[in-house]
Amino acid sequence: MASAFIPFDGVLFASEPPKGKGKWYGIGIDINKCIGCGKCASACKLENNVPKEPFYFRSWVEQYTIKNDGTVNVESPNGGIDSFKQSVPDNEIFKSFFVPKMCNHCAKSPCTQVCPVGATYETPEGVVLIDDNYCIGCRYCVQACPYGCRYIHPDKGTADKCTLCFHRLQKGLQPACFEICPTEARIYGDLNDPGSKLNYFLKNHTCMVIKPNLNTGSKLFYNALSPEVR
Amino acid sequence: MQNHIQDLYEVLSKVEGYVYPNEIELNWSILIVLYPYITGLVAGAFILASLERIFKLHILKPTYGLALITALSFMLVATLPLVSHLGKPMRAYEIMITPHLSSAMAIFGFVYLWYLMVVLLLEIWFDYRRDMIIWAGETTGFKRFLYRALSLWTTDISPKAVALDDKLGYIVTVIGIPSAFLLHGYVGFIFGSIKANPWWSTVLMPVIFLFSAMVSGIALVMFIYINLTRIRKVKIDMACLDMIAKYLFYFLIIDFTLEGLDQIHRIYVAEESFEALHKLVFGKLFFTLFIMQGLLGTIVPLLTLGTLQFFKPKEQIRKVIYMVVAALILMGIFFMRWNVVIGGQLFSKSFYGYTSFKIGLIGAEGYLMAAVWLIVPFFILAFLLWLLPPWKKKGEADEIRVA
Amino acid sequence: MPQQVKRLIIVFAIFIVSFLIMRQILTPKTFGELGHYRALSIKENAMKEMHYAGAAKCVKCHDDIHLDKSLGFHAKLKCEVCHGPALKHVLYADKFAGKDLPDSLLLYKPDKRTDCALCHEKNAARIKIVFDTIDNTMIKQVNTMKHNLVDKNTKEELKCIDCHNPHQP
Repeated sequence: MASAFIPFDGVLFASEPPKGKGKWYGIGIDINKCIGCGKCASACKLENNVPKEPFYFRSWVEQYTIKNDGTVNVESPNGGIDSFKQSVPDNEIFKSFFVPKMCNHCAKSPCTQVCPVGATYETPEGVVLIDDNYCIGCRYCVQACPYGCRYIHPDKGTADKCTLCFHRLQKGLQPACFEICPTEARIYGDLNDPGSKLNYFLKNHTCMVIKPNLNTGSKLFYNALSPEVR
Repeated sequence: MQNHIQDLYEVLSKVEGYVYPNEIELNWSILIVLYPYITGLVAGAFILASLERIFKLHILKPTYGLALITALSFMLVATLPLVSHLGKPMRAYEIMITPHLSSAMAIFGFVYLWYLMVVLLLEIWFDYRRDMIIWAGETTGFKRFLYRALSLWTTDISPKAVALDDKLGYIVTVIGIPSAFLLHGYVGFIFGSIKANPWWSTVLMPVIFLFSAMVSGIALVMFIYINLTRIRKVKIDMACLDMIAKYLFYFLIIDFTLEGLDQIHRIYVAEESFEALHKLVFGKLFFTLFIMQGLLGTIVPLLTLGTLQFFKPKEQIRKVIYMVVAALILMGIFFMRWNVVIGGQLFSKSFYGYTSFKIGLIGAEGYLMAAVWLIVPFFILAFLLWLLPPWKKKGEADEIRVA
Repeated sequence: MPQQVKRLIIVFAIFIVSFLIMRQILTPKTFGELGHYRALSIKENAMKEMHYAGAAKCVKCHDDIHLDKSLGFHAKLKCEVCHGPALKHVLYADKFAGKDLPDSLLLYKPDKRTDCALCHEKNAARIKIVFDTIDNTMIKQVNTMKHNLVDKNTKEELKCIDCHNPHQP
């Protein structure tokens, strides 16, 4: 598993390889456990002072409904904060599930690669952060993220995204969305620690990342990820 | 700010299918369409000048100085749309002091500086130094001071010094050609290297940008030349104009081929983004892509210029046709930038839906602001043509006045 | 050396030197220590304000509710899931022991039908979710538009908590 993170050594690469034996954070989300209550999205906004309007999300929940005729319906009304209303009648549904989304804290992060000034970076523990006192707001990183995780803060004019609640991690507390999830569908942990909850999760589930073909080194592993999910 | 949020709610109501919530708002708007357009004009005008200087197409001599000065006028404005669109424009200097070398955008500051100082300014300086010294002697007051300052208070216009000017200018032009390629090629790379966006991510992007830049720059100089001779009431050099049109035609063929190849490949290979892009191209992008860029901006000019290679109507009619064709091409290349920048943000990276684009008349990213950035270079051009008129240079052929 | 070349070299030298000086002055102090970014930014990000306290903090004062909860289906639910971010409350509420809390320290009381519906509204994507693999418990779902919407006698809209104790449903 860890070999997927060793980046190709090239000048143009932006990522920092895992430094020594310290912590190396990753995330696991179990789609079989998510009930789509939207509390994670809501908690994230409250914890991190994210603007309330439905255009700015550090974390959100999507509902996928695959109909019997094969068409896929995806929705995320206000990021899932007000939960979901079933929009397709039961008899037309083949499969339906919720997918929580957040920053993947990629090991070979394309957003870090394209920042022209060095305002976004990966900490030695593998958390991708933004320096909002240095960001010039050029929006290149927003374009480069394949998962749609970034936005420009309307008041600050700088880029913003999920920080894995770095300010909580430093105090030994869980990120807000993990803390709040009623079904423990979200977990995070140290990939370098063989006994961590995350490694246990990875060993006992069949996990996938979204858009593996883009080689982002995504550290957000989904259990039971259906092929329709992007 | 409130207006902005109101606009976003309007965009939200027009979203089709599903887009990631953060994708509702378009990130790069008309100002980012303008930047590659303006640098493209610069690179293209420069290439036209180098056709005369390096490739010895001396028939283009009447437009040599004009092309360089046009390039400079637009170059001086090029950064402004970029800086004004930043979320934190006061921090723009950071790109010069801590450029992140893995980012194509980071080299912008240095490529721009290099091209402006070492290529454009130096070449114009070497070309005009002797004339500025002569003109300084013929005027007084502020204009005289300007000439003296711009020639860096040099006084040597002996044949040896002028020959050195010529030689050094030649070397600068030779360096200038790959520099012009770099100036505009890297802009194409900025888009072409974004693997997250399949409308942008193609190896051909830098090359397409480059050739469309050359086409737009040549069309611009042609357009200005025709109108300038009309305003100044002098006879136009028709042989020069025909040659410009010929090279415009050649470059347009190459540009069209490259863009066609890109699309044919995309259609044939049909990767996972294909269905979403297909719906985009035939839906929201239909008018700007097929009508404005394709039909009016490329096919009509191609057919017209192609026909004119074989059947040459009277001079007066040819001039009008060239002017219309140049205008169509200028518009078409603008829409090419539009289709790349705006088109690439209209579809969701989830391939499940489309957002909408809203632009107003006023405001930092409105139509008026864009118009300002396009008009200011012409004022700069007028000033520079007054200060450094190419037709008054020593050794220029005498012009024929027409009523 | 020819005159024009000399002048040019002077101009470029002045330009390059002033650029290097500006660069030295303007580059932030901690830039480049850990990578191509301001190392101080890590600390700045770590110092950001928190709003959620974490369930462990609630038990200290509200152990009776905690005991109630631990006996029912909501045992594993954290308090802040329903009551919202509580850090300010945890830090300052004990100063008001015995007295009424000011509004700014009060927590959200989710007593509306829509609050329970966030998790319990019937949805095809929720139907098979097993959240407790030990007990194989599935989340109960109802159609909140139909399930006991109005009181049969008073014809007033009923709240979920009129029948269900939220701490021990």
